[in-house]
Amino acid sequence: MVLHFNSHPRLSSSPSRGDIHPKTQLSVSRLVHGPIRAALRRFPQTSSTLAPLPLISFAFLLSLMVPLQNGRAQEVDADKTAPRNLKQLSLEQLGNLEVTTVSKEPEEIQRTAAAIYVLTHEDIRRSGATSIPEVLRLVPGVEVAQIDSSTWAVGIRGFGNSFSKSVLVLIDGRNVYTPLFAGVDWKLQNVMIEDVERIEVIRGPGGTIWGTNAVNGVINIITKNSKDTQGTLVSVGGGNVDQGTGEFRQGGKFGRNINYRVYGMAFGRGPQFHSDHDNFDDWQLGKGGFRMDWDNRGSDSFTVQGDLYKGGVGQRENLAFYSPPASINLDGTEHVSGGNILGRWSRKLGEASDFQLQAYYDRTYRLGPQLGETRNTFDIDFLHQWKVLPRQDIIWGLGARWSPSDFIQTVATVDFLPHHQSDNIYSAFAQDEIAIVRDKLSATIGSKFEHNIYTGWETQPTARLLWTPSPHQTVWAAVTRAVRSPSRLDEDLQLTGFLTTSPLPVFLRVAGNPRFVSETLLGYEAGYRTLVTSRLYVDLSLFRNKYNDLTSFGSPTLSFESSPPPLRLVVTIPWANEVKGNTEGFEIAPNWKAASWLELKASYSYLNLDLASKSGNLGTGMANTDEGSSPRHELVIQPSFNLPKRFELDPTYRYVSALPAQAVKSYSTMDVRVGWRFAEQMELSVVGNNLFQPQRAEFGGDPGGLLGIKRSVYARIIWTSDGK
Amino acid sequence: MRHGLRPNFQHRLIPLAGLVAAVAFFLTTGLLAQQPKPNEYQVKATYLYNFGRFVKWHGTVPVSKGDSFPVCVLGRDPFGPILDSTLAGETLDDKPVALRRISKPQEAGECRILFISSTEEKRLKEILVALDESGVLTVSDMPGFTRRGGMIQFVLEGDKVRFEINLASAESARLVLSSELLKVAASVKRNSGSGD
Repeated sequence: MVLHFNSHPRLSSSPSRGDIHPKTQLSVSRLVHGPIRAALRRFPQTSSTLAPLPLISFAFLLSLMVPLQNGRAQEVDADKTAPRNLKQLSLEQLGNLEVTTVSKEPEEIQRTAAAIYVLTHEDIRRSGATSIPEVLRLVPGVEVAQIDSSTWAVGIRGFGNSFSKSVLVLIDGRNVYTPLFAGVDWKLQNVMIEDVERIEVIRGPGGTIWGTNAVNGVINIITKNSKDTQGTLVSVGGGNVDQGTGEFRQGGKFGRNINYRVYGMAFGRGPQFHSDHDNFDDWQLGKGGFRMDWDNRGSDSFTVQGDLYKGGVGQRENLAFYSPPASINLDGTEHVSGGNILGRWSRKLGEASDFQLQAYYDRTYRLGPQLGETRNTFDIDFLHQWKVLPRQDIIWGLGARWSPSDFIQTVATVDFLPHHQSDNIYSAFAQDEIAIVRDKLSATIGSKFEHNIYTGWETQPTARLLWTPSPHQTVWAAVTRAVRSPSRLDEDLQLTGFLTTSPLPVFLRVAGNPRFVSETLLGYEAGYRTLVTSRLYVDLSLFRNKYNDLTSFGSPTLSFESSPPPLRLVVTIPWANEVKGNTEGFEIAPNWKAASWLELKASYSYLNLDLASKSGNLGTGMANTDEGSSPRHELVIQPSFNLPKRFELDPTYRYVSALPAQAVKSYSTMDVRVGWRFAEQMELSVVGNNLFQPQRAEFGGDPGGLLGIKRSVYARIIWTSDGK
Repeated sequence: MRHGLRPNFQHRLIPLAGLVAAVAFFLTTGLLAQQPKPNEYQVKATYLYNFGRFVKWHGTVPVSKGDSFPVCVLGRDPFGPILDSTLAGETLDDKPVALRRISKPQEAGECRILFISSTEEKRLKEILVALDESGVLTVSDMPGFTRRGGMIQFVLEGDKVRFEINLASAESARLVLSSELLKVAASVKRNSGSGD
């Protein structure tokens, strides 16, 4: 991690816990809304076969005329799916017909009273992304800006910064937030992309269920059940930034009911563009792990999974020294390693009741030029869903998390006091979904009660309303309170920078504030989803968030210090909670399955931040930084083409408006993936990223000025065998 | 921009050009939209029709109003217009097929074939109890349906739609499933028992 004066802590949250979910470690939708299933089933899935479409071109326009031939060629066959033709088939023939399956996901999504977006495995595969933050660029309302090779600023509906603090991230129910700085260190959280079943993203406060980190949103990464990863997978790839990647996975069975997989992966990423040719930001990581799922086809299922990783991350950090008074930018490597193991037991207690128990242990170790930390986290969660009365669907849960850590000091000017601390959390939550009119109107009320070591008990209630006037339309609204409780950065930090030597040495110190309070959010949201036709789906969300007690700098104090010598003047600026304000905006995301060979996804996100200092001018600087670090407009257009000869073409166009506080101009760019399944078990893909410019900056964060994120190309070949 | 990053002059034009191109593109291609493979609900709808042909109702034929063969969908309908077009104009058991979408289990007693949507998973027991021995063929694609006492459950085997039969449940409702149906079923559960 890199701490310096540009990377201020931002709204969001700190020690918290990931609540879990019956069945699928928290299919968000099931918690946020109810069990009713829906209309989206009608939404036909794009199939993988298609008629000739003779082109491989990155331009939309080129492809404009071509499909004409296509459609004609297909007309003859088209009728075979007509009801009368299907009815002429024998039962046996029917059973042998290949069909396009309808994703079970969207139906629940359709019925969720929250702004939820799901990236399926197919979406992720076809994005060509090699890391989780890159995939998140496709989600409406999510701002992703790359700082350097291994660092991203991720925000939801504003407040993106280098700590990615505004959102809670879970991987298979494991909370990957660090209480050190209340953020996500993406470079520790690389998962094997092929194993990801889906990523659920909730924009808007989710504190009622997920606790004090889920202020602006929740990102829930769910890997596949090991029964879906049988057989072998091997992939190798390389390019100019993703210099080399290799992955291996082997799945198998013990008896009838136990499936497992083991995997290993390694990658090396090269540096981005540096105008001073100081290519410090290379990144290597190796990771391995396993997952085992036992399902007795009855009421119980068990999952055990674990990972181990080790890597090195190139960094440039600004370090100050008291003696002789100086400040240097130092290039170095942050060594990271860690691992985790998780177990989960789900049991169905009958028609109307099920529970889930989950426990995990997670260890992280980091040591870089600026600081180091060892952290061991133990977490246990219990969740029970219970339909007591005909119209009541109650979910309640309990959780506890212990997270002892040791800070490792590497320079005198960066410190967290005390060095040893345990960030512990205890929580309980309950919510009730009440069917006011069955299948038409339901209300959900609930709250989380969570105790943290900094501010004691925090309450995070929600009230949600879901109305489905017809099977193809959903209207929802919600009011939610969420808090971001303090982190070690807010309360325990001592970060000292060097200013000048004359007339005497002067240092500037940002200091943690033991009286730092939780940042709060009161969010008002509404949304509308509709299946306009069986092929066109539109999702619209609106929000207005009221924030209070956001992080700012407090009043400076002056002091003289002489230990260690020499004598110096220190200007100490504590953190404070002096910023408040509103954000408002909307996201619209149409999805059009135009034809079996074409699907179009698009999204436009609008965001306005209006933040100000609460008293005097103290918070003004931070308010301006926050306002100027999130894009007002974001546009993504993403068609997916299934071409003949099993080619796939996936261009993604993006427009991101300017970030004045980061000195980043607006930009448009395009990523393109071309995939070719040239044999039954072999797939070749070539992916180009940021094709419109040789390089351009997306976000500040490293000392010494902005880096350019390069145009990059990589090729990858994957071999899979289903092991049958 | 600082530090020698090149300014980007195209950024204002490109979003617009991209949009225009995309819109033009979709207008053109949308008209030509085709779907070569059937989707799973087209096939399931066809199966529902076929079940009407391969099942014999003896004795307790459900009391249906008028002289029709009611096929019902209980709960949120996953088929949409597919089922309407599949059953339109068909006759089963020499009666015109009538498609009904119902929301209360009590209305299901009039049906010959009842497709139970997976939205009804939580009250499945209640539904099946209400239908007990009333001669309604129950079909669903919710997981565990036959285990819990349902008669026919659609299952996906890879890209193919197959079905499982709980013969005991069908027989206790005095339905006779033809041998052809039993032959192509992915599995047939013969011993009685309605799961949990």
